[in-house]
Amino acid sequence: MSELKKGQTIQTKGFKSVTVLERLGEGGQGIVYKVDFNGKPMALKWYFKSKLKNPEKFYDNIKNNIDHGKPTDAFLWPEDITEWVDGTFGYIMPLRPSQYGDFSKYLLAKSNFKSVRSLVNAALNIVEGFGALHRAGYNYQDLNDGNFFVNFETGDVLICDNDNVMGQGYSSGIAGKCRYMAPEVVLGKKPDKQTDRFSLAVVLFLLLLGNHPLEGKNTNPPCMTEELEKKYYGSDPVFIFDPINKDNSPIQGIHKSAIAKWPQYPQYIRDAFIKAFGSEQLRGQTPRLMEKEWLETFIRLRSEIIQCGCGIGHFADPTKGVSCKCGKRISIPAYLKFKKLNVPLYPTVNLYACHTISDSEDFKTVTAEVIVSKNNPGSIGVRNLSDITWYVTGADGKAIPKGKDEVVKIASGLTIDFGKNLTAEIVGN
Amino acid sequence: MDLLETVAIPRKTMVLFFLVDTSGSMMGSKIGEVNSAIEEVIPELKELSESNADAQIKIAVLEFSSGARWLTPERPIEAENFVWNDMDASGVTDLGDACKKLNEKLSTKAFMREATGSFAPAIFLLSDGGPTDEYQKGLEVLKQNNWFKKAIKVAVAIGSDADKSVLEEFTGSNEAVLEAHSPAMLRKMIKFVSVRASEVASKSANVDSGDDGGESKQDAFIDELNNFKVEAADSADDGGGDVW
Repeated sequence: MSELKKGQTIQTKGFKSVTVLERLGEGGQGIVYKVDFNGKPMALKWYFKSKLKNPEKFYDNIKNNIDHGKPTDAFLWPEDITEWVDGTFGYIMPLRPSQYGDFSKYLLAKSNFKSVRSLVNAALNIVEGFGALHRAGYNYQDLNDGNFFVNFETGDVLICDNDNVMGQGYSSGIAGKCRYMAPEVVLGKKPDKQTDRFSLAVVLFLLLLGNHPLEGKNTNPPCMTEELEKKYYGSDPVFIFDPINKDNSPIQGIHKSAIAKWPQYPQYIRDAFIKAFGSEQLRGQTPRLMEKEWLETFIRLRSEIIQCGCGIGHFADPTKGVSCKCGKRISIPAYLKFKKLNVPLYPTVNLYACHTISDSEDFKTVTAEVIVSKNNPGSIGVRNLSDITWYVTGADGKAIPKGKDEVVKIASGLTIDFGKNLTAEIVGN
Repeated sequence: MDLLETVAIPRKTMVLFFLVDTSGSMMGSKIGEVNSAIEEVIPELKELSESNADAQIKIAVLEFSSGARWLTPERPIEAENFVWNDMDASGVTDLGDACKKLNEKLSTKAFMREATGSFAPAIFLLSDGGPTDEYQKGLEVLKQNNWFKKAIKVAVAIGSDADKSVLEEFTGSNEAVLEAHSPAMLRKMIKFVSVRASEVASKSANVDSGDDGGESKQDAFIDELNNFKVEAADSADDGGGDVW
């Protein structure tokens, strides 16, 4: 018996009981139900009997993942597992909150981000999730477009289908889709952390550019057979924006999104993708971009978002400003020059812990905001929102403390010491 | 196009072909059941297509009795826009003509012409009898068609008078033939085959990270069919017993 009936109650390994409330959806492996789990509404994924190749091993792995716990709250992680019922079982996980939608709906242009900021936030959140997963010693193995739920207002992301997640060195035996797998996995290698990172780059490219990084002129045969998928995603992949090999360039009128958006991203973003899909990375010979590198890249990108009054968001070079297609020229009065990036000092820009706290990767906690003086609209400043006192040094060499809620009035040549050897200089444009 | 504008990602197309025997012996509950079961599965195919970033699902329908006729003569119709029109049953079982007409359309000059390309189709044959025409010639030609070779092919034999060996010949495997002996079972099979064959055929192929080596979409689907058969046998009691 594979299907559960409404009202049916099953015992879990954690000595609790689940009662089936309603059927939510069905996939290749099983059915997802909304259940009452000890008084709390949760989701139950119930496997089709005999659908899993090695159900005992699969069961033990999920049990193991429950014991080890979720990497971060972004994972809709298994919380309990049922007893075996008539040769099959299921696991309990949190329900998807209603404000989250399918990533694949975004690819099909049925959902969209509220702002460029929420779009880049989604990239940051996806990278953070996989970084945490890998640091916890897991790998995901069959990452694809169906594994993400996105809050399109904020860019928050939930990662689902965590039943195939395995500890390092183990293979779930679940075969991912060719379009999302690293070429060496398509050719038969077992997935691991490095191959996860290739899939991650594919997802990031889809998110930002709206097309698949390996789908261009080459991949448009009349019939895409399994053999051709193995060729284009396995033995003979070519990045659509490969700077040298143009065989697989995007096609005008078909890959419209990538053609239009690629030039709108700063060179360092394009370089990151060129590196991620370089011919050596495609052959699995060079390590893939690590989550930390992607994080730094997207933290920089988000810092450079400037919203025009007309509503269009831009990535602006902090040292130059940007022209909006509405005709307006957005000039940036000054920028904060850090060691690795420049942050435009423009009203509505925030600084985060990852900017102002040494070695922090926290891109969520706001630690400062750029504000306009109420009395003098031409004067802007940076307000410290953190508990750490900054020291601001001008030409006179005197360090002035700026504690929480105090404002550093922007003037070219000032240096802000954020503590622990982290400093930035204010440079006027 | 600015950074927040979106256009749907270019998708492949996957056509689900229904080949339905509408000969006189299908008259009554059989054709009635086929009509209502296919009609009911359309919303599921629509949902599958709407959430599938790999491929769009289209539907084409060919009925055969005394001769074969396309119910979608111009082109396959997107699942989202497809409206099922009930078929009536009368006449003989010209499977050969159906093979011939299917072969004509399995071509980039006909139904398989897509700007962004296609995945191989899924072809679903339903019949309750045996061919009354010289089907071998039509089938032989069809079997040379590359689209047909790569397609997921599955058949349901409705009732005990169906010529299963012909259906096996058509699908290329006895494992790809199901037998329905009651309306409830036929309904279940139509739903399962339509949805699962479309899903397997319309997704990017799975890599071979399993222990048992590479398998084609047809193999993967046959695995699912075999599981379905086991489960169907387990729950045969709610089928109400054999009718046909």
